[in-house]
Amino acid sequence: MALLEMNGVRKRFGGVLALDDASLSAAGGEVHALLGPNGSGKSTLNKTLTGVVVPDRASITIDGSPVAIHGPRDAHAHGVAAVYQQLSVVDDLTVTQNVVLGLEPTRRLGLLDRRAARTVAAEVLTRFSPAFAGSVPYDAAVGALSPGEQQIVEICKALARRPRILVLDEATASLHKEQVHVLFEVVRELRDSGVLVVFTSHRMDEVFALCDQATVLRNGRTVGTIALADATEDQLVHMMVGDVERREEARRSHASDRTVLQVRGLTTQRLRDVSFSVAQGEVLGLGGLQGQGQSDLLLAMFGAAKIHAGEVLYDGVPLPLTSPVKAARAGVALVPGDRGRQGMFAVRPIQENLSIASMHRRATARLALSQRAERRAARGIVERLNIVIGGLADRISTLSGGNQQKVVIGKWLLNEPRVVLLDDPTKGIDITAKEEVYAIIRELADSGAAVVFNSSDNRELLEMSDRVLVLFEGGVVDELTDAQVTEEDLVASALRLEAGETL
Amino acid sequence: MNPAPPGTREPAPATLAHWWGRLRDIQVSGTATVAMLVVVIAVNVALQPNFFDQYALTSNFATFVPLVAIAVGQTIVVLSGGIDLSLGAQVTLASVVTVQLTDGELGNLPLALTAGLGVGVACGLFNGLVVVVARLQPIVATFATSFVFSGLALVVLPRPGGTMPSEFTSGYRDSVLGVPVALLAILAIAAGWLLLRRHRVTRHIYAVGGNAEAAFASLVPVARTRITAYVIAGMFASVSAFAILANTGAGDPFIGNELTLTSVAAVVIGGTALRGGRGGAIGSILGAIILALVSNIVFFADVPSTYRQLANGLVVILALALAGIPALQKRRSA
Ligand SMILES: Nc1ncnc2c1ncn2[C@@H]1O[C@H](COP(=O)(O)OP(=O)(O)O)[C@@H](O)[C@H]1O
Ligand SMILES: [Mg+2]
Repeated sequence: MALLEMNGVRKRFGGVLALDDASLSAAGGEVHALLGPNGSGKSTLNKTLTGVVVPDRASITIDGSPVAIHGPRDAHAHGVAAVYQQLSVVDDLTVTQNVVLGLEPTRRLGLLDRRAARTVAAEVLTRFSPAFAGSVPYDAAVGALSPGEQQIVEICKALARRPRILVLDEATASLHKEQVHVLFEVVRELRDSGVLVVFTSHRMDEVFALCDQATVLRNGRTVGTIALADATEDQLVHMMVGDVERREEARRSHASDRTVLQVRGLTTQRLRDVSFSVAQGEVLGLGGLQGQGQSDLLLAMFGAAKIHAGEVLYDGVPLPLTSPVKAARAGVALVPGDRGRQGMFAVRPIQENLSIASMHRRATARLALSQRAERRAARGIVERLNIVIGGLADRISTLSGGNQQKVVIGKWLLNEPRVVLLDDPTKGIDITAKEEVYAIIRELADSGAAVVFNSSDNRELLEMSDRVLVLFEGGVVDELTDAQVTEEDLVASALRLEAGETL
Repeated sequence: MNPAPPGTREPAPATLAHWWGRLRDIQVSGTATVAMLVVVIAVNVALQPNFFDQYALTSNFATFVPLVAIAVGQTIVVLSGGIDLSLGAQVTLASVVTVQLTDGELGNLPLALTAGLGVGVACGLFNGLVVVVARLQPIVATFATSFVFSGLALVVLPRPGGTMPSEFTSGYRDSVLGVPVALLAILAIAAGWLLLRRHRVTRHIYAVGGNAEAAFASLVPVARTRITAYVIAGMFASVSAFAILANTGAGDPFIGNELTLTSVAAVVIGGTALRGGRGGAIGSILGAIILALVSNIVFFADVPSTYRQLANGLVVILALALAGIPALQKRRSA
């Protein structure tokens, strides 16, 4: 029998109908994927279950009996806990304080029992201690932690509530691979003890690796539920996006034989003697375990890290990598993975965001910018990249994640870069937007740019790249060329140390 | 941290909302607070050579207590993400009710003090309900309720008058084993805060002020916590009222009004950000003492009485500006 039944869930936010007759039925002891493109209502459905969103209409039964969930405390009383996509941690409180937040152990008269709180926190956090470089910062303010560490605190907070139903909404989006593995172990243990885990992720490999069933949402409606054992990725994607044509794999490169980009002995605080070359029109992938220097390499090639030794040549001429501004002028573009932090000015208009990187090209006598030229350039990009916007003057924060990412990429296209560096550009965006980003990357390569592409998603890395460099602890440990690249190879290569080899 | 790519530093839009946002984010460092305290004490000592005499100390501490109490109350509301512009009016109302019920008789005192405390609790509850249930902006709501409380105070005691029993006033100026009672009162208020800080409700106040949505999702009873913050602040307003009565011995239906803004200033100088969730009352206690010593300086510097309030105000603004500069710089370089 189903542990959880949600039926006829409807929720309107002002003019947006976020959920329109959504449903979800899942049993205890199962990991149930909740899938759908961005904006399809996954988070809203999750929040309805956890009581953070009060639906306009819904019938929810848990264990066969109808329940009324008017707030998070009702949901908690029924054993529901959640990891929210938008984390529910308080930055100014410490890790321990966040984990026990709302359920603080107390002694007489409501005085806090710090020792008990620490015990509760330690119970859940020790599993994840490798993620904190071995020692969990129990007394550090959560706001001072990295996004991945904050995510783990959020996860531990949910685990500390000992749920019967655990919602994981994009819980892996900012985690490293190793951390994802620990989380998966924990989820499997919970499942084996009869807990229902509702799992939302954009990473298909995770869904297939972890989940038993999948319910797919599209435009706030439930399209259907299928058992993942007999489903293919194409089937799922088709359920998610409907009968829209999925762009078929259009790779098989247009890489020429002409090597344009040469990296020689690049060494920074986090890189050890990295050398490779990229041909014109080639897409070079960066793989390996996450955090092995991939992002650092891209930052160094963008002049955003202090280079201790080595150089980067384009057509035999060294690129000026002493500052990002100089790198950008020399035709290097970086699309960062952490859009919100590095790639855009969230509250500024879309047009400004688009034109900012290439302003110097259109600056009239370097004194004044012509509004009209900016608008024309911006409009061209919006059309070319198929960015869905209200108007160029809207704030970029009003866009969906996928469209935001396209703006970030777009701003560099305006600069007509010769070298394009992409740092996990599809992180956290939905599958339709991903396909469009892939198309843009191919277009860039086809137009002759040298592309270096880091991704935390192995499948897309293989699908997109002509060659893959595997990094480990800041050095290149392997190179997989076109013919041999399979996912197994990549994983094997990334894990080569665990296979008993030494560097 | 890796340096960010170019153009990622957000250009600062010079709007009013922006500057209010900046102001709310100012967080004075503990060092700055202590440094200010040292400076004002030094100036006081220079102007008032007998500053450390028993008599001067006692009378100084006696004037600190009302401000210290109200500053702690304001801190709690600010930490919860609100602000209480009616605290001064609450002090007035609690004091006039207490003085009227005491009516000069020591025997009436227990009842009168209980009623005075009840006034603070009731005012705080009223504020909390207006803010939480009617969902009015705290700054607007409490500004409005301050008129209600001041109006009520005028009904209870239309003009200055009433007396407190002499035991009450002389006890306040006494000392125990050489320690002034007023200093003991300040230490008691500080101890009260330290105890409160270990209470679950205060943890929730910090959480709600820091991130109300996250707190709500984490099972913190947000509405109740907000209301509680105003109620606790009301209780500290009552304590402030008692200290004023003990210091002056008589009732005055206007006495508390200028305390409100001073309490906000004390909170900011003491290192609690107005945006909520960060800071603590010990800093505000120091902030209150700093501000009280500043009025001392203005008094002893022979500023003509007509200009005294102006001078006080300017010094407060100067202190806020000086205290805020390092915080702003830190934000800019962050
Ligand atoms: N608090 C809110 N206010 C207004 N609109 C919202 C709110 N939350 C979600 N929405 C809208 O509801 C739709 C569904 O959003 P969401 O549930 O977050 O989708 P998903 O998690 O599948 O990406 C989107 O169009 C989103 O913009
Ligand atoms: Mg979502």
